[in-house]
Amino acid sequence: MTTFGHFALLAALIAAAWAATAAFLGAVGATRGLQRSAERSLLCTAGFVACAVFALEWGLLRDDFRLDYVYHYSSHAQPLAYKLGALWGGQSGSLLFWSLILTAMATVMVATNRDKNRALMPAATAVVGLVLTFFLLLVNVIESPFVTGPLRPDGVGLNPQLKNYWMLIHPPCLYLGYVGFTVPFAFAIAALVTRRTGDIWFRTTRRWTMFAWFFLGTGILLGSYWAYVELGWGGYWAWDPVENASLMPWLTGTAFLHSVMIQEKKGMLKIWNMILIILTFCLSIFGTFLTRSGIISSVHAFATSNIGPAFGLFLGLVFFGSLLLLIFRLESLRTEARLESLLSRESSFVFNNLILVGIAGTVLLLTTFPLISVQLTGRKVTMGPPIFNTVNIPWALCLLFLAGVGPLIAWRKASRENLRRNFTVPALSGLWMLLAVLMLDPAGYWEKLRSVFSSGAFDGIKGFYPALTFGIGAFVMGTLGLEFHRGVRARQHQHGESLPVAAGRMMWRNKRRWGGYLVHLGVVVVFAGIAGSSSYQKETVGEITPGQSLAIDGYRLHYLGHEVLVEDDHLGTLARFEVSQDGRPAGTLQAEQRAHVNLVFPVLKEAFQLAKAVPPGPDRRRAALAMYRLIGEMEGRAGREVKTPSTEVAIRSSMNPLRPTRFGEDLYVIPLAVDPETGRASVRVFVNPMVNFIWLGGLILVLGAHLSVLPDAAERKRLRAAMEIEERAVA
Amino acid sequence: MPERRAAALLLALALFAPVQAAGEIPPGVDAKAYLEVATTLLCDCGCHPQSVHACACGRATEMREEIAAALRGGGPGGTPQSAAQVIAAYVARYGEKIRIAPTKRGFNLVAWLGPSIALLTAGLAVSLALRRWRGSGEGEPVPAGVPAELDPAYLQRLRRELGEER
Repeated sequence: MTTFGHFALLAALIAAAWAATAAFLGAVGATRGLQRSAERSLLCTAGFVACAVFALEWGLLRDDFRLDYVYHYSSHAQPLAYKLGALWGGQSGSLLFWSLILTAMATVMVATNRDKNRALMPAATAVVGLVLTFFLLLVNVIESPFVTGPLRPDGVGLNPQLKNYWMLIHPPCLYLGYVGFTVPFAFAIAALVTRRTGDIWFRTTRRWTMFAWFFLGTGILLGSYWAYVELGWGGYWAWDPVENASLMPWLTGTAFLHSVMIQEKKGMLKIWNMILIILTFCLSIFGTFLTRSGIISSVHAFATSNIGPAFGLFLGLVFFGSLLLLIFRLESLRTEARLESLLSRESSFVFNNLILVGIAGTVLLLTTFPLISVQLTGRKVTMGPPIFNTVNIPWALCLLFLAGVGPLIAWRKASRENLRRNFTVPALSGLWMLLAVLMLDPAGYWEKLRSVFSSGAFDGIKGFYPALTFGIGAFVMGTLGLEFHRGVRARQHQHGESLPVAAGRMMWRNKRRWGGYLVHLGVVVVFAGIAGSSSYQKETVGEITPGQSLAIDGYRLHYLGHEVLVEDDHLGTLARFEVSQDGRPAGTLQAEQRAHVNLVFPVLKEAFQLAKAVPPGPDRRRAALAMYRLIGEMEGRAGREVKTPSTEVAIRSSMNPLRPTRFGEDLYVIPLAVDPETGRASVRVFVNPMVNFIWLGGLILVLGAHLSVLPDAAERKRLRAAMEIEERAVA
Repeated sequence: MPERRAAALLLALALFAPVQAAGEIPPGVDAKAYLEVATTLLCDCGCHPQSVHACACGRATEMREEIAAALRGGGPGGTPQSAAQVIAAYVARYGEKIRIAPTKRGFNLVAWLGPSIALLTAGLAVSLALRRWRGSGEGEPVPAGVPAELDPAYLQRLRRELGEER
């Protein structure tokens, strides 16, 4: 299978390189047959890459530890799902997985454009072929997943933190997002090459863009959730370089989705849209470069290697090459209209774009600042959450405000009457919410206001962020509510429909608009969750023995006892708690401290297998305790890590809408250390208010994104019309 | 109607109504000094970049104890240290990177202020450009070949599509 995998990869590389070459020749005017050949080559590449993936998965499933990749990322004891998921657990596997996704997308691109877009397809195929060739070069030459070593009895296995079911979903989601932007980018470049810079390229790729944006956003949210439930530090976002790498293309992609609407409606911002899609694609590549090259240390950099220079070169070529092409085509990207007023929907979109790209640029600067600082000043610095929050939050709040302005402000130029009619009620609801939150703690806010003048605006204003977030959030919800109310009332008035029918039909008739509004609603709910959980979090740390209790913010944790476990791939000490909330029983929780034994040591491996063979009961407990003692004796004198610890936190979510002050709140228990002999536990407990709003907002976002990409007859008609106009213009 | 709106807002407020937080401060130390140190220093456990105050790992617990001991006077001289002294001692031992964020001085100001200045400048530039376009008296540039009057067939299609949208 190893040889099969090698040859499949080689064949895929040759096919992709031919696809790129033939499509390029087709694009510069050679025969149409060459383009057909390029498209067929792309399909062949997909087949060959699928064969290579099959070969690697086969090795993982059959525990073929001669393969270096299988040895490093799998083991006999690894559960089946994680053996399959190990495909993207390491460097070369994830590059292969990236290639698989791109070939799948290339196949769909070829299939859906078989009889249309014939002018753009050669150049678009060439771009996709080039990107594929680069990734296949990497897995053939620099990072092959089929490198073999000596015969080994067992493997090291996947990093324990990756053994979480979210690992099976989150990376594929992110990759779908990163890779998905390749197709819109390819069509944008094709539009520049062919000078067909009208509507077709972005209308054709609107669904691709939405698809990539949706999966990248979902991947980011799932990653946050994974960090929250698995990494056990009580938070979900730490501005880690790899987290930032996924956020940047999502931000520029969001900007693109908005600004392309202006091009669609008014024929404006053509150059800007080109810049945005180029930036988004390059930032997607940069994300992978950052994750995999190890140039900036990150807790997420589970796999790093020497692909950095190749990625850097590719990124530079793509970025500067695209910009150069754009400069040569500036003439064909002239605007068809101009902005007429600062108070217009177009302007609000321009400012929304400015802020989105500004935040992306800020994140890029701050993420790479340690490198810049070392180069220019020789000093190493850390860029932790405080600087990211201080610099970004004010702009994020401006962005949230614009999310409320955009839907209701008039196109071209908003009159005073338009502003009064559309924004009085939302502004009042925002102000009301702001005042109400301030009134929850007037003395505290007064103190914060005084500190603005005494200790500097930077630190003083921070205290108002949560109140401002709720206020602006209420304003945005007010605008959405008003738009909904008016739309439904108009339908009821015109067609005499009932409220649900009118609402359903209104949304169905304009799926794209209402999908977008739902996304805005989701964003507001996410913002509320972030503001609530980060500003009003409570925490306590304590050492308790079985029978003792710990109290925090109306909760009481009674420590029932502990249990020592021997599982398939780890030892564990489980602590059980009985929980009460506001004096009422609220069930039980269990948190676990795990020790993943390093099975490279024969003595540990043998002892672990013996312990696993003991039937459950007191003997097994004794065997487990003996294992813990053995680990304790070996630690410090073994020369390398004897065990990898991991933590399984316990979470109790309050989702009862009848208790609104607790709604969305989590009780979050982290077992810092649990003594397997005595059960004495050191625990850290958080109460995270509103944290579930983040995931709820994510679900609303998913719904909105789905609604906006559902097939739409009017949209299809518009695309057909645009194609006809373009064909006529070219003729 | 206003009552109903007020009730809806109050309900929304109830949903959004959390209570204030209280930090965990070790006994026997000045809370302000402790928080200043614990929120300034990075937990060097190698996990997510978190302050000693925020990080949940065992190393953070150790560092919190070290900080509390230094503030209480558990250091070499036996005298209580100020927050600035404790931070300076850590920086001397580990370098600037032990701070969770760079100081707001010198080249670091590029990171602290650069993005906001750039964004404000860009916003101002866009606003000025808009004003200039408006003030120059130039109308919306009409592409060549577009008739001044709207085509009746186009108007009819537009009305039909607008009808569909509703």
